[in-house]
Amino acid sequence: MKSARASIVAALGAVLLAPSPARAEVSDVAVKAAFLPRFARYVTWPPNGHTSGPMTICVIGDDPFGGLLNQAATGQQVDGRSFMVKRMASGAGAIACNIAFVGGSRAGEILAGLGRQPVLTVTDSRSGAARGIIHFAIVDGRVRFFIDNAQAQARGLAISSRLLALAIGVNQR
Amino acid sequence: MRSGAVAFCTLSSILLWTGRAHAAGEPDLADLSIEQLAQIKVTSASKQLEPLSEAPAALFVITGQDIENSGVLSLPEALRLAPNLNVQQVDASQYAISARGFNGVQAGNKLLVLIDGRSIYTPLGDSVIWNLHQPLLEDVQQIEVISGPGGTLYGPNAVNGVVNVTLKTAQDTIGTLARATAGAGERSATLRHGFAIGSSGAMRVYADWHDREGLPAGYGGRIDDDFRSWQAGFRSDFGAGSDNITVEGDYFHADADTAPGDGASAYNLLARWSGVLGRSASFQLQSYVDWYKRQFTRVEDSLSTFDNQAQLNISAGPHEMVAGAGVRTTRDRFINNLNQFQLNPTSRRLWVYNLFAQDRFNLSPKLSLIGGVKVERSSFVGWQVLPNVRLAWQPSGRALLWAAVSRAVRTPSRIDRELEALPLLARSTDFTSEKLTAVEGGYRGQPASWLSFSVNLFYNLYSDIRTTELAPGGGLPVQLLNGIKGHTYGIEAWGTAQLAPWWRLSLGGSALHKDLHVKAGRLDLQPRNSLGVDPNWQVTGSSQMDLTPKLKLTLDVRGVDELDLPPEVPGYVEAGGQLAYSWRNNVELFVAGRNLLHRSHRENGDPGASQLAKRSIYLGTRLRF
Repeated sequence: MKSARASIVAALGAVLLAPSPARAEVSDVAVKAAFLPRFARYVTWPPNGHTSGPMTICVIGDDPFGGLLNQAATGQQVDGRSFMVKRMASGAGAIACNIAFVGGSRAGEILAGLGRQPVLTVTDSRSGAARGIIHFAIVDGRVRFFIDNAQAQARGLAISSRLLALAIGVNQR
Repeated sequence: MRSGAVAFCTLSSILLWTGRAHAAGEPDLADLSIEQLAQIKVTSASKQLEPLSEAPAALFVITGQDIENSGVLSLPEALRLAPNLNVQQVDASQYAISARGFNGVQAGNKLLVLIDGRSIYTPLGDSVIWNLHQPLLEDVQQIEVISGPGGTLYGPNAVNGVVNVTLKTAQDTIGTLARATAGAGERSATLRHGFAIGSSGAMRVYADWHDREGLPAGYGGRIDDDFRSWQAGFRSDFGAGSDNITVEGDYFHADADTAPGDGASAYNLLARWSGVLGRSASFQLQSYVDWYKRQFTRVEDSLSTFDNQAQLNISAGPHEMVAGAGVRTTRDRFINNLNQFQLNPTSRRLWVYNLFAQDRFNLSPKLSLIGGVKVERSSFVGWQVLPNVRLAWQPSGRALLWAAVSRAVRTPSRIDRELEALPLLARSTDFTSEKLTAVEGGYRGQPASWLSFSVNLFYNLYSDIRTTELAPGGGLPVQLLNGIKGHTYGIEAWGTAQLAPWWRLSLGGSALHKDLHVKAGRLDLQPRNSLGVDPNWQVTGSSQMDLTPKLKLTLDVRGVDELDLPPEVPGYVEAGGQLAYSWRNNVELFVAGRNLLHRSHRENGDPGASQLAKRSIYLGTRLRF
């Protein structure tokens, strides 16, 4: 009797403790972090941009990524340039960024401060002053994005057609 | 003793093991192409442990993902996921829902419900006619359920709670979705299509159909509560410069079996414009029209509403201010050919004007004081003041302790003031607002990355609650008066544990004590209608498991105490759930069930209206392309 109970407990324990066959669903933040270095491959920066040294991804304002962005950027290369991640509280010094993710409640203010610097701005916000050149959307449980190509051109950035084709919507003007 | 020790070891090894599993972190995305990355299924942040919101109130959030996992097919059934709401099914399509007591078909008049900014309570009885409101559940972004008063920001009727349903923006519903379900008791079908407009705009259109069969007879005998309805609508969102514009609308039609021509129609159309003013201010303007007409058992009820609101948010130094104004007008018509109870006049226009302001003063990074007041003028009772004061203390980023004192009122409904059936019932032109002063406090925290929980305590002091009383001298006609006062107190608690990356467990419960009495020397003839009938306690639990990457199992169980006002409703335990299999990423097949433990059970004791809730099992599929 006692051993029967012990074996039930052991079996239950084995079930509960067995490594799950399930792959944990990926969080949207991890996929967004993985997108950021990928974007660099499909964007050409003008000569007045950050064109030498490592490709620099900046997180300006609130940082939703934690270690995920550093993890995603490690080991990636574009045209022989490796990646570097910087975090900054304000947009001052953003000229040293290739890609800037701008988040948090002050995003609009920060983006306004960037003016027309040749930086690929990426945001979660899709409207208003807080909208970047690339803005993410969750569509049917997948991370997708819109591209404001008019804003990219105003900043002197050229976005390849392969990236434009992947966008849900493109503002051409 | 020994088995206790074994159980303890097992438990602790589960906890330790989950710790390791979490440390293992996210799967590797590094090798995927950008196109593959765009195809990865994600859980949005809101599905993770509830974010530690700064709102100092008793707040429970139901996410759209929770609703989809649970397999429910209607808004009231989805609201069962909130431990701070009591949900009683009355018939196939009607429910009585309340927070912190006063639940019932007539008594449930202290909850304010908003669907995407549109208030859906009707001034006929200050209640919500749940079967007129069937938003597409796949469109729901989240449902905030606040127990406790929200009078300052939300207005009248936000006495015991606020249910705020937010729908997804059109940008988040691009593509095509089709859903169909079929089972013995109900069937549904849905088609939705969303598309982008330009670089940041989008629109979706949808149609939804439901067939709900009648339920077994309750105390009052069988009523013909079969309900077939369809609804179609759209939502579009546009960003233009610094502005964001939303336009949305729905049309609803239902057929009921009670008599030829019985059923309901409804439409609504809403526009909202939000934008920024300079660097630290934003505004929102919103207008909507809403109309419905119901016909049931020789009674006709219709209502049209026109509502306008403006809101301004300003942050300046340590202050975060919100101020606003609103005007709402309704015109109703109620014609009763069934019995002698009539509204006099049968049709009436009512107005509500309001102004409000609230400031969150961040005294220090950890301590905030919130004070706000709404002044409101309504047709029946003139000016009323709805203030609240709140204190929020965040000793760390992972914990919030809060306390609040608020005043809220329920303004008189048309029935309260103008229902007449001479010589039985006389109009009650002196009927005034029911009033609440609430003292509440709570803790909300995330003591570990995998665990979050909340506890709320409340003490509610009521006065001028409705009574049905005999005429002076003890004869007819009876009259509706404000003869009840007293208090209630209780506790609500809930928690969620992410036991493993693939397993999430939630538990919740609430307990309520009511001490309300008729003022000395007076008698209430209809305590069911004034005080409602509430369980002393209820508990809920749910488990969401990703058994394999393709197979999800969600189970929920609830236990509800008896309702002890005759005719009694025994306490019950019920369970539901869904097993869902996804095939090739865009086809989902599921089997779901509700009330699985018994063939039928009683949830509401209304002698005239209530039917039995019954077991329901259905198969369904969801296609996305």
